[in-house]
Amino acid sequence: MELSSKVNETDHKSFRVQGGLGMGLNARTSERIAFALLGLSAMLVAGFVVIILAYIIYNGYSAISVEFLTEMPRMRMTQGGIYPAIVGTVLLIIGSMAVALPMGVMAAVYLNEYAGETRTTWLIEMAINNLAGTPSVVFGLFGLALFVKYFGFGSSILSASLTLSFLIIPVIIRSSQEALIAVPKEYRESSLALGISKWQTIRHVVLPAAIPGIVTGSILSIGRVAGETAPILLTGAAYFLPRLPDSIYSQFMALPYHLFVLATSGTNIAKTRPLQYGTALVLLMIVLGLNAIAVLIRRHYRKKLQI
Amino acid sequence: MTEAVQNVAQPQIEVENLNLWYGEKQALKNISMQIPKNSVTALIGPSGCGKSTFIRCLNRMNDLIKNCRVEGKVSIEGEDIYEKGVDVVELRKRVGMVFQKPNPFPMSIYDNIAYGPRIHGVNKKDLDGIVEFALRSAALWNETSDRLKSTAFSLSGGQQQRLCIARTLAVKPEIILFDEPCSALDPISTSRIEELIMNLKKDYTIVIVTHNMQQAARVSDYTGFFLMGELIEFGQTRQIFHNPKEQSTEDYITGRFG
Repeated sequence: MELSSKVNETDHKSFRVQGGLGMGLNARTSERIAFALLGLSAMLVAGFVVIILAYIIYNGYSAISVEFLTEMPRMRMTQGGIYPAIVGTVLLIIGSMAVALPMGVMAAVYLNEYAGETRTTWLIEMAINNLAGTPSVVFGLFGLALFVKYFGFGSSILSASLTLSFLIIPVIIRSSQEALIAVPKEYRESSLALGISKWQTIRHVVLPAAIPGIVTGSILSIGRVAGETAPILLTGAAYFLPRLPDSIYSQFMALPYHLFVLATSGTNIAKTRPLQYGTALVLLMIVLGLNAIAVLIRRHYRKKLQI
Repeated sequence: MTEAVQNVAQPQIEVENLNLWYGEKQALKNISMQIPKNSVTALIGPSGCGKSTFIRCLNRMNDLIKNCRVEGKVSIEGEDIYEKGVDVVELRKRVGMVFQKPNPFPMSIYDNIAYGPRIHGVNKKDLDGIVEFALRSAALWNETSDRLKSTAFSLSGGQQQRLCIARTLAVKPEIILFDEPCSALDPISTSRIEELIMNLKKDYTIVIVTHNMQQAARVSDYTGFFLMGELIEFGQTRQIFHNPKEQSTEDYITGRFG
């Protein structure tokens, strides 16, 4: 139903464009103009990505060294490395995914496979949509009130991970739902027709077939976790903490906040500039690396499933 | 309408006054039919006449469709399958189904067949035997015994369909429903499936929906002709094809419409 309405919409639009440009222009000319505009937009987007990447790599690569990656910051952050920030960001990723992935996938299975089109499911879907559109600083305040204060987890890895997991649950639910929808209905039918229960069908046929999509969506949301600053700022990230966290209740350093600190309130902004670019480069590499892994996993499963 | 099969001693499937609605639209009107054990029953009729809807009532696959409402009685071995408290999962073990498009799971040939028994709790050491039995019964063993671990998608369309039949046989059903099983296959694959269906009736009761009248004539013992949700005529295949009682049956069989 959704598809057909989309088709109608585009039909409608192209009709209008034709009407507008149609005056004095033949179909071939308008085709050329459309092609040029669309191509230009695509090139621009790709161009921006390349420029940003090139700029950061160019300015940051000189800062990268073994020392930079494995040592604590020194001399009021003007020297030394960013090791604790890397560790902090990795811990945040692990912590938030451990919560968000099972919850998100389970919610998606419920919404897609079990819940009918009732008022309740409509409300849940609306809530998810709104959650996805909520500014991250609001999540930060929410995490501060709920996890840090009310549950008494304090300013800690635990509070920050939980806050970030709430931030990405909508993303994981959405991508899991899409992955589940993409599983051919024939798989479900033929499994049910063998006298396999619904849950067993989901577990043994539907979920395995949906894994590539779920993994891709999840890894993209890891990028979000790695990059968010506002929520962790309010729930556990430390300005400067030259040691590794020793429990889930410890404060921590994280790459995006460290970058913010170096770039705005650092002791000597000009002096730490290479460190700033280096930090940005490391953060970018983590995110890009994860995206690459997502692509590889998807390709691996595609091959295996031969879809 | 059904007097032609009254000489059947013990019908395995008995349908009485079956009505079905998709929302407001009535798709099946007052269908009654008796299907004997170890026979092949073909259901023919033009597209949208309700024949597929009808066989999906026999294993309650229509339960999956929203707004679908069923009235009337369908009994298998005397048990009403629409009664409250009937375990649909258990019913579908007894009444298997092969679909129009070959639809193996994205797994190996072996796992496709072992899938059902494995989940039904069959002992691991018995699985090899079941897989071999199912593949032999579906006339696929010789072609696949040396590559059971390769993906099911490496098989041809016809082989995939026989794999789906084997998969159904592996859970040991009593009845097998075929929903246009050859419509996506080439003539050679089709004739192999038809041969298979005729062999299977020794051990199973078979109901097959088909668009292909020659196929119905070739494989079936009984034929039912559906038109616009009604069962127009039901009887022995020879009688339906050579001596139809209803004018519309004759028109359809002789190709005047549909």
